[in-house]
Amino acid sequence: MSGMTGVSARNRVLLGAVLRVEIADELRSILREPTALLFSVLMPVGFFALFVSIFGGYDAGAIPAGTRMLATFGTFGVLSVTLMNPGVGVAQDRELGWLRAKRVSAVPVGVTLLAKIAAALPYAVGVLVAMTVTAALTGSLSASPAELLRVLGVLLVGSVPFALFGVAVGFRLRANAAAAVLNAVLMPAAVFSGLWMPLRMLPDFFADVAILLPTHHLARLALAQLDGGQVFGHVAVLLGSTAVAATAAGLSYRYARL
Amino acid sequence: MRTVLDARDVWFRYGSTDALRGVDLRVDAGECVALLGANGAGKTTLVNLATGLLSARHGALRTAGGDPRRAAVRRHLGVVQQSFGLPKALKVRELVTGAAVRCGRPAATAGPVLAELGLGELAGRGAAELSGGQQQRVRLAMALVNEPALLILDEPTAGLDVSARRHFRRVVERRRAEGTGVLVTTHLIEEAAAVADRIVVVDHGAVLADEPPGALANRLPDRTVTARTSLSRSGLNRLPGVISVEMRGTTVRLGTRAPEALLRELLDADPGVSDLRVEGAGLEESVVALTDAAAPGNGTEEPEVAL
Ligand SMILES: Nc1ncnc2c1ncn2[C@@H]1O[C@H](COP(=O)(O)OP(=O)(O)OP(=O)(O)O)[C@@H](O)[C@H]1O
Ligand SMILES: [Mg+2]
Repeated sequence: MSGMTGVSARNRVLLGAVLRVEIADELRSILREPTALLFSVLMPVGFFALFVSIFGGYDAGAIPAGTRMLATFGTFGVLSVTLMNPGVGVAQDRELGWLRAKRVSAVPVGVTLLAKIAAALPYAVGVLVAMTVTAALTGSLSASPAELLRVLGVLLVGSVPFALFGVAVGFRLRANAAAAVLNAVLMPAAVFSGLWMPLRMLPDFFADVAILLPTHHLARLALAQLDGGQVFGHVAVLLGSTAVAATAAGLSYRYARL
Repeated sequence: MRTVLDARDVWFRYGSTDALRGVDLRVDAGECVALLGANGAGKTTLVNLATGLLSARHGALRTAGGDPRRAAVRRHLGVVQQSFGLPKALKVRELVTGAAVRCGRPAATAGPVLAELGLGELAGRGAAELSGGQQQRVRLAMALVNEPALLILDEPTAGLDVSARRHFRRVVERRRAEGTGVLVTTHLIEEAAAVADRIVVVDHGAVLADEPPGALANRLPDRTVTARTSLSRSGLNRLPGVISVEMRGTTVRLGTRAPEALLRELLDADPGVSDLRVEGAGLEESVVALTDAAAPGNGTEEPEVAL
């Protein structure tokens, strides 16, 4: 019995060490070739600056539009890192044969994925921080630090199903194709979910579509941290999406040609 | 002797192509076995089964410690795959220490292996800044760092120059002497003969020969007789001393170890023989003759080689 627990404790230590190496490798790859990620950070922050300087002052009830946009446009910003980066990274590793090499050296694929997602998180945080600073500079920031932290936490945790979806695509497609597909999914999803412009400003038809999109529910959950809106329905949708995305990623890996 | 790879009657199929058709292969600890075969013979497929990437459709395959589809078993393998790139952004030392940690070894084990492979000075270089041969040394270092019971090398010396090949062989030889089993694939018989205790010739997914290099060489043709003749394939096969027959229209190439006797009988059997030539057959050529003879579509079921 004690032997058994000894073994599993040792395995945990091993997995911890492997995870550290995997995260370190991911961060190194990003830092040493930062162009791709830089674009997925700069692009949404740039657009946010543009939108917030146009619409930021509009009052939408108690909260200025610029602050609401931290939740909505922020969802888009976080997803443009967490949806794209792990998925495209997996596709690149697979093309290289690196994923196969890791499989042979007995690294659980979950550890590899966890490392990829973890390594993308600092950049997601960077996006939100840059947006918050932009909102503050344009005078449209009105939220307590606690509220801002809750928005951040919701967006980071809530991006897990999207990262898994990205990975499911990355296991099937080449890196270029995966990037194209994920962008083609993210852009319209962002528009229809009201992440760029509030749904109020768009035709009714958009709201009908939005209700079907997990992106919309993540944005609403983030927004609820600011306006105290209800959360239960959104959490349920996101949990369901997580289950679906995890299953898709699992199946995709299982049938992937490594 | 401990067996570190044991494949029995292994079959594998991609879609409708049978890549392996009942392969038996054994590697013992401290033994180096060369898997020799032409492009598409099934070498990489067998390697992928031995490294747990594929599952056999039929048959059994075990490596040191059990079924390589189990992660814990794969920790005892050292593998250099035929086509895998190194992440460009990582440095040599990071790649090798990473390989150590992934197999459950302390990062410090990388140091001696880097030194052994002459990578000490390159340790701080990025993988993108290495030559092909240097990259291959890094791959070998990554495969050796966990002191594997079985080392699997899929065409490891492709693209290496002569001195790099020699260095490579020395490193492999040292491991073999320490008791590591080695399976190395190649399509060069000279290469196989230089490193292996046993050569296993595969062709179209089947094993044609499995024996020490010396014994194999003794049964391969060392001369080729080329001629234009009207004799049929079976007629040619009946001639004394014929080991292999290759036909292109009316031109035939016969592999043999006894060209004099063969020529006498050939001239007797077909007085119309023309364009007669006798040449030495390199080992390389002999194996081609051997595998060509066994190729489906030559109108025969069995290899026409007197193995
Ligand atoms: N992924 C695949 N899908 C379909 N067929 C495949 C696949 N991989 C290999 N094959 C086929 O299986 C057979 C064996 O291929 P394999 O890669 O094992 O050969 P090999 O001996 O390693 O050749 P090489 O010397 O070119 O590396 C070939 O006919 C090949 O075309
Ligand atoms: Mg091959």
